[in-house]
Amino acid sequence: MSRDNLLLSVNDLSVTFLTEDGAVKAVQNVGFDVGKGKTFALVGESGCGKSVTALSIMRLIPSPPGKIVGGTINFRGHNLLKLAEKQMQRIRGNRIAMIFQEPMTSLNPVYTVGDQIVEAIRLHRKRTTEQAWADAVEMLRKVGISDPQHRVVEYPHQMSGGMRQRVMIAMAVSCAPSLLIADEPTTALDVTIQAQILDLLDDLQQQNAMSILLITHSLGVVAERADTVAVMYASRIVETADAEPIFKQPLHPYTQGLLKSVPQLGYRGKHLPTIAGTVPEPLHFPPGCKFHPRCPIGADDPRCRTAEPLLRQVLPGRLVACWYAPGYETEQERKEYEARYGKHPNPRPSSTAQS
Amino acid sequence: MRKKQQQHKDWGVSYGELIWREFRKNKLSIISLAFVIFLFIVAVLAPFLANSKPYFIRIDGRLHFPLFADLKRNDYCIFLAAALAIVQLLLIRRNRRSIDPSIRGALLWRQLSVSTVILITGCILIYIFVPRRLDATDYKAKLAAGRAANALFPPIPYGFGQTNLKVREQPPGPGHPLGTDDVGSDVLCRLIHGSRISLSVGFVAVGISTLIGVFFGAMLGYFGGKVDFIGMRFVEIMMAVPAFFLIITIVAFFPRSLFNIMIIIGITSWTRDARFIRAEFFKLRKQDFVQAALSLGLPLRSILFRHMLPNGIAPVLVNATFGIAGAIFIEAALSFLGFGVAPPTPSWGQMLSLGVSTSGRFLWWLTLFPGLAIFLTVMAYNLVGEALRDAIDPRLRKAP
Repeated sequence: MSRDNLLLSVNDLSVTFLTEDGAVKAVQNVGFDVGKGKTFALVGESGCGKSVTALSIMRLIPSPPGKIVGGTINFRGHNLLKLAEKQMQRIRGNRIAMIFQEPMTSLNPVYTVGDQIVEAIRLHRKRTTEQAWADAVEMLRKVGISDPQHRVVEYPHQMSGGMRQRVMIAMAVSCAPSLLIADEPTTALDVTIQAQILDLLDDLQQQNAMSILLITHSLGVVAERADTVAVMYASRIVETADAEPIFKQPLHPYTQGLLKSVPQLGYRGKHLPTIAGTVPEPLHFPPGCKFHPRCPIGADDPRCRTAEPLLRQVLPGRLVACWYAPGYETEQERKEYEARYGKHPNPRPSSTAQS
Repeated sequence: MRKKQQQHKDWGVSYGELIWREFRKNKLSIISLAFVIFLFIVAVLAPFLANSKPYFIRIDGRLHFPLFADLKRNDYCIFLAAALAIVQLLLIRRNRRSIDPSIRGALLWRQLSVSTVILITGCILIYIFVPRRLDATDYKAKLAAGRAANALFPPIPYGFGQTNLKVREQPPGPGHPLGTDDVGSDVLCRLIHGSRISLSVGFVAVGISTLIGVFFGAMLGYFGGKVDFIGMRFVEIMMAVPAFFLIITIVAFFPRSLFNIMIIIGITSWTRDARFIRAEFFKLRKQDFVQAALSLGLPLRSILFRHMLPNGIAPVLVNATFGIAGAIFIEAALSFLGFGVAPPTPSWGQMLSLGVSTSGRFLWWLTLFPGLAIFLTVMAYNLVGEALRDAIDPRLRKAP
C-alpha cells in the first residue's frame, strides 16, 4: 500500500494489563495498515485482543491496570500514542469514531437520542443548537430511521436494539470521521437486522469515503465486506491477507479451522467441524506457537512446542505466522530443524495449504 | 387509533416526568409534599403574616405603609428567590406544552443559568442599595393614643423580636393564640419566623454537603485506584468522628451565627453522599454509554457531570431530603442546648428549650408547639424522601 493511501498504521503494538494474578499480555506486537476508504477486518475469538486493539487506537484503555507498553499507532502521519490527552479528545469522535457491541447499553438512558447526537456534533463542529438539531434529524434519516423528526426526541428505552444501533452509528458518523471502528457491531442483533446494519455501514462508507476497522468474530460478516482481513489468536495476529485469498486459500491452520467451522448450506446431517480444545488463558499462554495444543499439524511438533513463529510475508500481501505455511520457513531454519529434531515433516503442511 | 394516540403522548417522556407519575400514586407523600410547600409559603410570607407593623396606617392625614417600608434586605432576597422559582416552574410547564421538545433541554439550562445569575446579582444589588433600617415606632401605641387612624395589622400583630414583659409566660388565649414566652414574645409569631431558619438551615446545609459529597465521591469513583484508597480512608476518618459533638465543638469556637451553623452542618455531613456517588460511579464507569461518550471525545467534565451524574444521582437526591430533615433536627438540637442562633432570632429548638428552663414552671405551650413543628416538618421531609426513593427505584419498595 502506498504511503498516500494509508490512513492508519499500527506497528508492533503491545498492551499489558497488570492484574493481581500477574501481567496479562492482551495484545502482542500487533501491526496492520488500514487504507483510505477501505474496510479492514480484525477477526478472532472472544478474548483474543481485538477489542483491546481497538480501544488502544482510541487511547481508551483503562489505565491502570492497562498499559500500552510498546509500538506506534500512526494516524494520518501522527503517532496517536504521543499526543496529549487534549489533542486526543479532538480526534476522538471527530476523526476516529467508534461503535460498540451492545446497542442496548451504549446510549445514555437519561437523554433523548437527539440530545446525544447534538452534543457530539456541537463538540466538534461550530453549529448553533438549532442547526445541530437539524443535523441530528438528517443523520437519523441517513441511517434509515423512519419518522426522524419524532424519533429524535425519544429516549433510548423507547427504541429497539436495531434502532439503537442505528442511532449509535448516526452519532459516530455525525462528524464525518475518516475512520470508524466498529467493535462487533452486529453481535447483539437479530440475524435479520445484522445484514441491514452492515449494508448501512457500507453505504455510509461510500458516501463519506470513510475507512472502517471492523472487529468481529464472525467470518460470515467479513467475507463480503472487508478488503483486508487479519486473524488474531491469543493476542497476536496470525494471518493477514486480502479478503479473497484468505477465504480461498487460508494459510494458518487456525484460519483454516475457523473457515471450516462456518455452517454452510448443504451441510445437513453432518456434524459441524470445530477446533478442538479451548482458547488458552492469557495468564498461561503455552510456550512456542500459542495455537499448537489445538493445531492439527503442530500438536506434536517439537519446534511448534518451543519456538513461536512470528508474522512473516510469504506471498505479496500475505502475512502468516506458522512454521508450516508454504514459503514461511527459510532454508536455514529447515536445516536447523533437521539437525535438531531429525526428519522434516514436509510435504505435509504444504499439501494442506494447496488443497 | 386510541393506542396510537397513547403512544404519541408517551413520546419524549422524560425521566423526571416518570418519577413524578410514580410519586403521585402515594397519597401520604402528596400530603407531605403539600405540607412542605405550605411551610415554604409560610416562610416566604412570614413578615406579612406576623409583624408588629401595620400594612397601612393613616398618621396626620397621610397614608403610610410601615410594614412594606420596614422589609429587611434578607426579606427582599427571599422574595426574589421565590419569584424566580415560581417563574421557573411556570416556564417549565409552558415549555412542556408548546415549545418544540427538541430544544427543551437547552432552554431549561438557559433558564436555570439566567435565573441563577439574576438571583446572585439581585441579592448583591439589594445588599448594596437597600439601607439597613430600623423602624422603632410603636404603631399600636400611636393608634391607642388616637394619633393615627385607619390601620390594618397583619393576622398576628407582633414582631418576632418584640418583647413585652407585662404578658410574659402567658398560656394560649385571646391575643396570643399559642401563648407567650419568657420575655413576652408571641409564640405563634416566633414559630412562623422560625420556619425560615429551619428551612434555610436545611437547604443550605444539605446544599453544601451534597456539593462536597458529589464532587468528592465522583472523583473517587471515577479515578479509583490510589485516589480512591486515600480518599476513602479520609471519608472513614470523617465518619468515625461523632458528628454532633464535632459540631458542638466547632460551634463553641465560632460566633453563634446562622451561617456558621449551616456551613458546619454542611461540611460534617457529606460523607454519606460521597459514598453513594462513589459506589454509583464505580458501577457507571464500566458501562457502555460512558465508554461511548469517551469515544466521542467528550471532555472529562461532561463525562462526569453530564453523563454519569444524572444516572447516579437518585440515591443522593433521596438522601438530600432525609438530610434536610436531619439538618433541621440538628439545628433544633443545637439551639435547644444553647449552641444555636443567638436569642432574638427565632428558632424552634431554642423555643423548645425555654419551655423547661424558666422560673421552674413547666410551660407546656412552649414545648408542645415548637416540638410539633419540628416533628411535622422532619416527618414530612422523611415521607417525601421515602416516596421519592420508591418512585426512583420501585425495586427498593418494601412489600406491602
